[in-house]
Amino acid sequence: MTVQKNIRVKLMKMAELSQDAALSREDFAKFCEFFYRKTGILFEEKKKYFVDRRILDRINATDCAGFRDYFHKIRFEPDGKEMQRLVNQMTVNETYFFREDYQFKALVEGVLPEIAMRPSFDGPIRIWSVPCSTGEEPYSLAIYILEQWRDADRFDIQIQASDIDSAVLAEAEAGIYGPRSLQRLPPALVAKYFTRLDSERFRICPDLRRSIDFSQGNVVEPPFMKRFRGVDVIFCRNMLIYFDETSQRDTIEAFYDCLSPGGYICLGHSESMSRMSALFRPRKFGDVILYQKPSEKSR
Amino acid sequence: MALIKADTLPVALVPSPAVTRSDLIGQLRSSDAADRRAAVRGLAAFPDCAGVLYENLTVEQNNSVRSLIFVELINHKSSAVAGDLLCLLASEDANLRGGAIEALQEMPDEMAPHVEAMLVDPDSDVRIGVVAILAALRHPKVPNWLQGVIERDPHVNVCAAAIDALAEVGEPQSIPALAALARRFHDVAFVQFAVDAARRRILGR
Repeated sequence: MTVQKNIRVKLMKMAELSQDAALSREDFAKFCEFFYRKTGILFEEKKKYFVDRRILDRINATDCAGFRDYFHKIRFEPDGKEMQRLVNQMTVNETYFFREDYQFKALVEGVLPEIAMRPSFDGPIRIWSVPCSTGEEPYSLAIYILEQWRDADRFDIQIQASDIDSAVLAEAEAGIYGPRSLQRLPPALVAKYFTRLDSERFRICPDLRRSIDFSQGNVVEPPFMKRFRGVDVIFCRNMLIYFDETSQRDTIEAFYDCLSPGGYICLGHSESMSRMSALFRPRKFGDVILYQKPSEKSR
Repeated sequence: MALIKADTLPVALVPSPAVTRSDLIGQLRSSDAADRRAAVRGLAAFPDCAGVLYENLTVEQNNSVRSLIFVELINHKSSAVAGDLLCLLASEDANLRGGAIEALQEMPDEMAPHVEAMLVDPDSDVRIGVVAILAALRHPKVPNWLQGVIERDPHVNVCAAAIDALAEVGEPQSIPALAALARRFHDVAFVQFAVDAARRRILGR
């Protein structure tokens, strides 16, 4: 009986907190403006429930008294750690083959032909996937290019892939994936590029596995970044959003030096270069915006 | 298959000959922006580099080199660096002003000792620049500084900038100061509108 009563009291308290923590329209607008300025992620009114729930979770986890208290924390906390945790809550961090493949389409239909046509181009085309996590992105790039770029056989293409986490890199190099990772790949491509190991596991073909240069390192460490020069396209999706402003600037400056003149950066769909740097020129390929380093030798 | 692996050591891994600080300072005069960026990166390895980087910031015209200097000044932040960057708020060059504001927003503890003196600078454009820094500064005294602006600054544009910033970080204690400001600029419609909007944001209703 006492246990039941305790549970009931706890549930009532949670319900009260939930009521209290539901953001007013003004608080929601204030939060959304702040969050957009910091991350580039914009929530519309219809996402209010989603936002409310996650903020409530963080208010409870941080023992804040309510929204005002919590907002003060994320706005002024010197190390920005709680803001990072909130970003984690507000974003979906998963990887699978052909994720946001409209960016790959822009690559093969717009970017690669443009690079290959440059008078100064003497190959190979260098593409860098960072962070590559468990490898879905660099392998997707390889498959998409081989399948969709009709000039793929005419040029040498080098795909490099890096991550700070040695454990996920080991998985990437092993190249073994489950159905969830492969869900967006057409069955014909699964059959062409993978070998079934058992009912739940598929291994990417040895040629593709051997064709990617995997390396472990941290993008904010200059010695690691110096290894990458003359890169034509950097795929850096959904990483910078988790960095503080200083690290974002450091990384973007380092990417600038890694890229060849006229090279491109591809960010995640909710990320925007304009909040981080004015060095790059936005270029539109269909509905996709990539960011280009100026091509002329500058004085 | 069109895919190849790198089979040579990347050029950047080939050890470069030792470069001295004075070599790098000389390299800052190169006619190639890429060389000057490399010099900035090289100089950033020296702990006492901030002075020479700042001096070059004021003469450098290329935005990519300027941008890197700002980043390295943030990495070498100190009260002295903040003091130097604050001088740029009076610059005629909008790119330098904007770069300084963004850099100073990332050094709250180093910026703090300068705030009160800068908020009484005779140039209202400089004071607006300081308020723009406060608008994104992670420092607990920001609401107090902004409240001081709306209580004391004689220039309506400086106060208007402070109202916008207070709308985000203000506490209910700021409401009387906002009301007093509305009375002080009773004939400026924008101030009435902005104060009303800020009051709603602060109270959350």
